[in-house]
Amino acid sequence: MGRIDLKEIQSVSYEKAKIKKGYADQSLRINLDAADIIINPIEEKIKNTFIGGKGYDLWLMWNAVSGDTQWNDPENAICISSGPLGGTPGYPGGGKSIVTSISPLTGAPIDSNVGGYFGPYKKFSGFDVIQIDGKAKEDTIIFIDGIENNIKIFEAKNLPTDSYELSDVLTHYFDENKPVNVSVVTAGPGAKNTFFGCLNFSWWDAGRKRVRYKQAGRGGIGTVFADKKVKAIVARCGAISMKSNNPADLEGLKLVTKTHAKEIRELDPKQNRMSLVGTTHLVPIMNDHDCLPVHNFKFGSHPESRVIGEEVYEHIFDKGFDGCWKGCTVACSHGVKDFSPFTGPYRGQKVFVDGPEYETVAGCGSSLGIFDAHTILEINFYCDAYGLDTISVGTSIAFVMECFENKLVTTDHTDGMDLSFGSRFNALEIIHQMARGEGFGAIVGKGIRRMKKIFAKDFGADMAFMQDIGMESKGLEFSEYMTKESLAQQGGYGLALKGPQHDEAWLIFLDMVHNFMPTFEDKAEALHWFPMFRTWFGLCGLCKLPWNDIIPEDNKDTQEPAKVAKHLGWYADFFSAVTGRKSGPDDLLAMSEGVYNFQRIFNLKMGYGTREHDTVPYRAVGPVTVEEYESRKDRYDEQLKEKYELDISEMSSKDKVAALRQKREEQYEKLKDAVYERRGWTQDGIPTVKTVKRLGIDFPEVMEVLKKNGVE
Amino acid sequence: MIDVDVKQMQWSENMTIASLLQTLDNVEFCSVVRLNGKLVSSPNFAETTIPDNSKIQLLPLVAGG
Repeated sequence: MGRIDLKEIQSVSYEKAKIKKGYADQSLRINLDAADIIINPIEEKIKNTFIGGKGYDLWLMWNAVSGDTQWNDPENAICISSGPLGGTPGYPGGGKSIVTSISPLTGAPIDSNVGGYFGPYKKFSGFDVIQIDGKAKEDTIIFIDGIENNIKIFEAKNLPTDSYELSDVLTHYFDENKPVNVSVVTAGPGAKNTFFGCLNFSWWDAGRKRVRYKQAGRGGIGTVFADKKVKAIVARCGAISMKSNNPADLEGLKLVTKTHAKEIRELDPKQNRMSLVGTTHLVPIMNDHDCLPVHNFKFGSHPESRVIGEEVYEHIFDKGFDGCWKGCTVACSHGVKDFSPFTGPYRGQKVFVDGPEYETVAGCGSSLGIFDAHTILEINFYCDAYGLDTISVGTSIAFVMECFENKLVTTDHTDGMDLSFGSRFNALEIIHQMARGEGFGAIVGKGIRRMKKIFAKDFGADMAFMQDIGMESKGLEFSEYMTKESLAQQGGYGLALKGPQHDEAWLIFLDMVHNFMPTFEDKAEALHWFPMFRTWFGLCGLCKLPWNDIIPEDNKDTQEPAKVAKHLGWYADFFSAVTGRKSGPDDLLAMSEGVYNFQRIFNLKMGYGTREHDTVPYRAVGPVTVEEYESRKDRYDEQLKEKYELDISEMSSKDKVAALRQKREEQYEKLKDAVYERRGWTQDGIPTVKTVKRLGIDFPEVMEVLKKNGVE
Repeated sequence: MIDVDVKQMQWSENMTIASLLQTLDNVEFCSVVRLNGKLVSSPNFAETTIPDNSKIQLLPLVAGG
């Protein structure tokens, strides 16, 4: 490859905003239609209502799009923000970016929380949030230079095609002497040719002297990025310290940062060992509790799962500091060096793989019947290089494999490829095809919701069966937890605003293993509290792992251990110290509730956001097939007899599947009733006027959307 | 003797994870332990015996990804 060719088409110098108490109080808009660079102030009312992070993104998105906007319309925006606490060096998980857009998969707002240095670099360059809208005519690179204080738009030629190489080249191009000053956001060819393209956010790994990556994976934001012909957004920023946020109480910030970091340093080695194994410790734990998706979520465990969990990856991961933010003591972003792929364009070369995490292992491993750590690494590598979301890739291929085994899809459709569970080479070939937009892989890259329609229309496949086994809700593919035995987690997925991602509520163990929420009201309370608190991390630019994955030793003696009260207090102290807004744990929840309800109404604006859209496929609720029922026969028989008081002595397995289904589906609907009531929503799942007014989000345009939907 | 988190406890023959937990307070959330570095989950507590001189760490509640 020759030297990259950048032609400057727009340049603006600016006076950098002084950061005050965590905020730049400015947004940056790049309109690609006109190559405009627009800097706007952020009003105090917006700051107080939306806090930052995802809140800012959603507010800008709301104003950018109409209810008719499609994902590939020019007015669809990509917003990237940090948050008032983001960019605090040494605070565990303190450097996240939150990305939003109208999703190609769901048609509604999607949000994705990602590590890497971009969010803080952008903020310390003077912008709390950036909005990219319009469409460029040529491949484009946006450069935000917080050292020279200028913003440039380039037309770009002769760039590497994949994300892996592009970020590396641009990092060195924009600061050859100090690559640590640069963070790059890129997509890849897979983002262009599928509907679930991800964005790679980079940081410079000074120890290994290489660019590293984390992914904003969910919902196809990379696809929107590629459709706009944006090849990369680059932020350049100088040294960052605890003072960079200009906190209201520097000493208070130092104290809470030191306290939380110290606890993690001391306790992580005794608990989940995330600084050694990342989240791969979850693989054996989920397997043992029958929660690891196996064969497209048919089953929850498999004897071979031991070879794809922490015991293997601990020895494969390269040793060294793996924080995706400066000084993070969780440091869970592990990778594998000198990996040699056995397929694709990098075949035989030595590459560094950033990952895998639990989700990738489960989605691209056990759910596909692939119990081989190296194949999972190769899938991980190519998904990142191509710019593909490993969760949607895994869950989509798992769906195809089950269709193949049920002869809904045959070798006639797959160009001769056997896509039975466990077909690891063909799974990789599908991914290469996705990236090229060719062959059967191009169909798989459209995601499960579209595949169901194609398979029914073109292949004559049974739509009702595909609705049951296609693990998507709202158009988004499920992340990687089995929910059949946890009604609360069925709600955690089905009622999640953006679709079935576990970042709103992860209640499986509290519900299924510990039985701490036996009533509908208990579950509804959990499905109120947890999504609200987890939303707060996205408002502030933080990672949630330090909250409840490493916890105080005396936490078990507290009144509500699941909430980790000591950490709630620390987060309130953290927020107070940076912003000067004296806050307690309840205040953090109140901040989130307004944004959470605003996002629900945003869904409504886009034509979704009601009860009918909170459905989940029956595979998430119970056994679809006799095979599944009989694999856990004792469990299900007991439930029919004891819980539902049915006489099953004369029932066939098929009858039992139907009887259990009726009961479980009734329960899911009752759960919706209870959750909607707890959240202050109508029984159609729409926030009431009273709720909207209580939360201070009763903007005229919000009230208009409610009115249009019969809520006055 | 065995080490359970920071505490030393008396070991007994045929001691299992399940029988050990019955002697401890506030372990309702404990669904996973590390026994000499290896993860053991609650479905296997009753059948997992503890060798003498073992080190056991009670993992916090599992919080997901």
